[in-house]
Amino acid sequence: MLKFVVRRVLWTIPIILLVIFMTFWMMREIKGSPFRKSERAVPAAVLANLNRKFGLDKPWYVQYGKYVKDVATLDLGPSLVLRNQDVNDIVKEHFPVSAQLGGLAMLLAILVGIPIGIISALRANKLTDYIAMLFANLGFAIPSFLVATLLIYEFAAQLRWFPTNGWDTASSKVLPVIALSLGPMTYFARIVRGQMLETLQQDYVRTAKAKGLRWKRVVVVHVLRNSLIPAVTAAGPLLGFLVTGSFIIENIFAIPGIGRYYVISVSGRDYSTVMGITVLLAILVIVANMIVDILYGFLDPRTRDART
Amino acid sequence: MVLNPQNEELRELTVGREREDGSFEAGAAINQTSLWRDAARRFAHNRAALVAMFAFLLMLAYVVIVPFVVPYDPNAVNFDIAYVNPTWTHPFGTDEFGRDLFLRTALGGRISIGIGFAGTVAIMVVGILYGAISGFVGGWLDNAMMRFLDALYGLPYLPFAIITLAIFGTVNFWTMVIALTIASWFTTARVMRGQIITLKENDYVRAARAVGARWHRVLFRHLLPNTLGVVLVFVFLELPGVVLGEAFLSFLGLGINPPQSSWGSLAQDGYTQYLSHPYIIVIPSVAIAWLILSAFFIADGLRDALDPRTESAA
Amino acid sequence: MRKPRFAWPLGLVAVLFLALVAAGCGGGGSSGSNNNATTTGGSAGSASGGTIRIAIGSEPPSLDPGLATDTTSAFVVLNTNVPIVYLGPAPDLKPEPALATSWDTSGKTVTLHLRKDVKWTNGDPVTSADVVYSWLRTISPQLGADYAYQFYGIQGAQEYNSCKPSAANQQCDTLKNKVGISAPDKYTVKVELTSPQPWFLQQLSHTSFIPVNKTAVDKYGAKWTEPGHIVTDGPFMLKQWKHDASLMLVKNPDYYDASSVKLQTVKLNIIPDGSTAEQAFNAGNVDVNETGWPPSDTPSIKNTPAYQQFPSLGIYYYGFNVKVITDPNQRKAMALAIDRKTIVDHITQTGQVPATNLSPAGIPGASTINSDKFLKPTADMTLAKQYMAKVSNPVKSINLIFNNAPGHKEIATAIQAQWKQLGINVTLKQMDWPQFLKFLGPPPDASVGVYRNGWIADFPDDINFLSIFQCGSGNNNTNWCNKQYDNLLKQATAEQDQQKRYDLYQQAEALLTGKNGDMPIAPIYWYTFAYQVAQNVHGWNTNPMDEIDLRTVSIG
Repeated sequence: MLKFVVRRVLWTIPIILLVIFMTFWMMREIKGSPFRKSERAVPAAVLANLNRKFGLDKPWYVQYGKYVKDVATLDLGPSLVLRNQDVNDIVKEHFPVSAQLGGLAMLLAILVGIPIGIISALRANKLTDYIAMLFANLGFAIPSFLVATLLIYEFAAQLRWFPTNGWDTASSKVLPVIALSLGPMTYFARIVRGQMLETLQQDYVRTAKAKGLRWKRVVVVHVLRNSLIPAVTAAGPLLGFLVTGSFIIENIFAIPGIGRYYVISVSGRDYSTVMGITVLLAILVIVANMIVDILYGFLDPRTRDART
Repeated sequence: MVLNPQNEELRELTVGREREDGSFEAGAAINQTSLWRDAARRFAHNRAALVAMFAFLLMLAYVVIVPFVVPYDPNAVNFDIAYVNPTWTHPFGTDEFGRDLFLRTALGGRISIGIGFAGTVAIMVVGILYGAISGFVGGWLDNAMMRFLDALYGLPYLPFAIITLAIFGTVNFWTMVIALTIASWFTTARVMRGQIITLKENDYVRAARAVGARWHRVLFRHLLPNTLGVVLVFVFLELPGVVLGEAFLSFLGLGINPPQSSWGSLAQDGYTQYLSHPYIIVIPSVAIAWLILSAFFIADGLRDALDPRTESAA
Repeated sequence: MRKPRFAWPLGLVAVLFLALVAAGCGGGGSSGSNNNATTTGGSAGSASGGTIRIAIGSEPPSLDPGLATDTTSAFVVLNTNVPIVYLGPAPDLKPEPALATSWDTSGKTVTLHLRKDVKWTNGDPVTSADVVYSWLRTISPQLGADYAYQFYGIQGAQEYNSCKPSAANQQCDTLKNKVGISAPDKYTVKVELTSPQPWFLQQLSHTSFIPVNKTAVDKYGAKWTEPGHIVTDGPFMLKQWKHDASLMLVKNPDYYDASSVKLQTVKLNIIPDGSTAEQAFNAGNVDVNETGWPPSDTPSIKNTPAYQQFPSLGIYYYGFNVKVITDPNQRKAMALAIDRKTIVDHITQTGQVPATNLSPAGIPGASTINSDKFLKPTADMTLAKQYMAKVSNPVKSINLIFNNAPGHKEIATAIQAQWKQLGINVTLKQMDWPQFLKFLGPPPDASVGVYRNGWIADFPDDINFLSIFQCGSGNNNTNWCNKQYDNLLKQATAEQDQQKRYDLYQQAEALLTGKNGDMPIAPIYWYTFAYQVAQNVHGWNTNPMDEIDLRTVSIG
């Protein structure tokens, strides 16, 4: 187990370098400059000053080398667009918001989605199952922008139960969390249901039932344990997605999260911010995957060897 | 992601299929007809899948036929008939330019579904190649390729697609397909690697290698064909993701160039006017949901159909 | 099987979901109630006393007067600082005393006399040394300020800004000393210009001329604009800044004219999305919606008392790449075929004025400058077709590029349909902003036939608009270059007599959009600024350069 973890950690180093390089290269390939924000032309002298100030006049390998060095010292550099902020500031300020949004949405998705899946499987092909699966499928199919729009329209603008935007009070967090959680919620529901149904048919469950073990115990100990494995596997990558893939929700609800910043930075050609956030996310996802693998290893010892 | 647990089932599908004359190399081409016939029969008994198939074909018929029969010009601007609520002459109403939305939704569907299928195929090709190489070669290369995937896996795909679109400079059908492919081939690659590894361990492949079959022959004659079932399921599983991805990009204003529109850009138009004219966002969103749901149930039905064990359960 | 105990939350969720779907379906019928919400909006939940809550469209990229380039930053900078001069009421927009109480001009020399009672929030007086330091800082190549070119009219400024700083190179210091900015005494600033520039005093109202506090800049570097670090001298002070979420300004008790400032607190909520901002206003979460709203909601908003509209010195136009569309007759035909009134009435809808010329209707001297009205607010398709018939080799297939900000697509769609009537097939190309600028040039990409662009005045003199289309101007994306035009503008730069200057502007304008002009551009409309303002907010204003002055605003 320890060897497995160590190897994993060592592997991350070249991978992170590669991710930085890829992002770096892709950003270089895009036409356009971070220094033109309005219709107004920027005189050549001003552009030259800006390029010099941010080191963009250096050859690419010098820029890349300096960047890697900065990352190693945990300095993500200055933002090219927000002139009074460093990327570190931006991350510090906006990442927690996205993490909270994603975390709450994930929690809600698990708390509601997994029970729905379990109930559905236990009541397979009954009315409860159909309603639950209708919900799960609609939630999966309806685009989040429509869900968010309808939520604001009904509960914020018409009923005025919640604010329309922002991320300061507890009540302002309700609608965005619901809007963001719907997708993963239904995902959990479906995956748990499918896995449960399969497990319920396995021989050992049938045997357990035949042996007269209490039904509840069978469900809890055997079936649930085996059914939750895929849910756990899915949670890692989903978490990464939730933390950063919430751009549309963050935009509609005017939430100051990192997902929105990321996309804005891409279209603003804020190279340092894009790379900073990418690197951060890559590290985060690698760690999340590692944790998932370890959890997986505990839940299903068979995989431990295969995955090293 | 969804497919991982099914590896076991697929193994059963592929085990022990030597030809009667005993030659191993035919492992792929053996009596697949009866397998597929069985699958078709099982699929036909699955009510949800049949309904989904019908819904899917209905949608296809709508997007293919309607532009030929509706007498309007999809791009003509006539402000006198702007924002007509849904009526018999304009079943989905008209937009701010007085353009018929019944027609434009159908045309948008052509683009959305077209991008969906093209993107899915591209994702499959890239994913299968990556997964197959990784799974087949194995060793440190496999490890490196998988760790790399891990790093890419959780990165938000939207910014990657946006960067790709920005590199191309302009958004059209094919650049959209490429952008979505670059942003979302990871899952496929991972699943395909899993498939290949499972298959590689199979007796008949070992046997094929033991008798000295060359690796590319094993790869192309045995391994890839045996993943065909998975591939088919995967097409319908991947399709919703691509359609949604296109919709999200369009929703951000990065859709294909107007006056053409996809469901996503129609929804974007609708979003800016949902307070005064809510039907404009609801119609394309429902179309997207319709497509996703039917694709999903078809995938579900196909998966069950390709798995002999499900007969008793259904 | 027993009934599972956890069935009830599932039911709850299902009910919630169905309610949600029902709400969505019911949306169509309830537009009436929505209008009611709009009418009562704003006042319902507004906070008491002197607190105003304003929805703004973006995070201010910088509150450093030297670095701020966008209107949101300028809004905050202007209300937390004292500019050199304020601009008086439209249409003259004459400079009015602010930090400078009076000024003398003689030829190329401008002398500013500063107020003696302006204090930084750290207690120090604001002096001429602050002005000289700040201006040289903004011009310096080290700062990399976008708006350094606002200073290019000052002697030596462009040279200093263009030098390459390095340790071994003392040249920059020499050039710095040659810049024509000096402080003869503690409250006097002397400026040497490169030419008379009659508009220079109005230009001084721009935020880039606002002085910064050297102590704060030296102490905190780039972070000096954060709350707690920032030192300003204006009517309001920055108290709190949650990046990308909100800013809080409070009244500055030491502001020289504090008694006339009515608001105690200004809360700026950053809401980038127009629909959300509109909803926030309707729900009473903000008192003013400065972000805007989707154009399609304008008709209903216009019917509410919350709607307020202000004229602007700005133009929205289409430029022709004259190397692609070479024949002026075709450009005229295309310009004539645009139905500006329809675009303004059905698409933009917030009271924009159909533009028949480049120079905005509100610019001083407009009645003279725009006397050659060849283009009409509505389309003249007959005349357009006559001009088109004169074209020997018409370009029938044209690419039109525009950026993907809201609204451009709709206008392009309408114009595409209008040009189709001339037999021209237009391909629309929507791009993100940096990409768009890349295609724009100058020179524009060879594939570009027509581009969308706009201009909002930096200072209220028509030279600011006309000089866009000088040969070699960085903003002239048309490839059009006319020596006669350049000569007229050159004469105008030195012309002190107002009426004579307007006459020269008129001749230049006629070369652009007149009957015998070259028509390198097709003007579409002159901008307006529109807001949702709650009934209890008084004195809300915007000058034609999009500057919002909160000194006179009150609430309650």
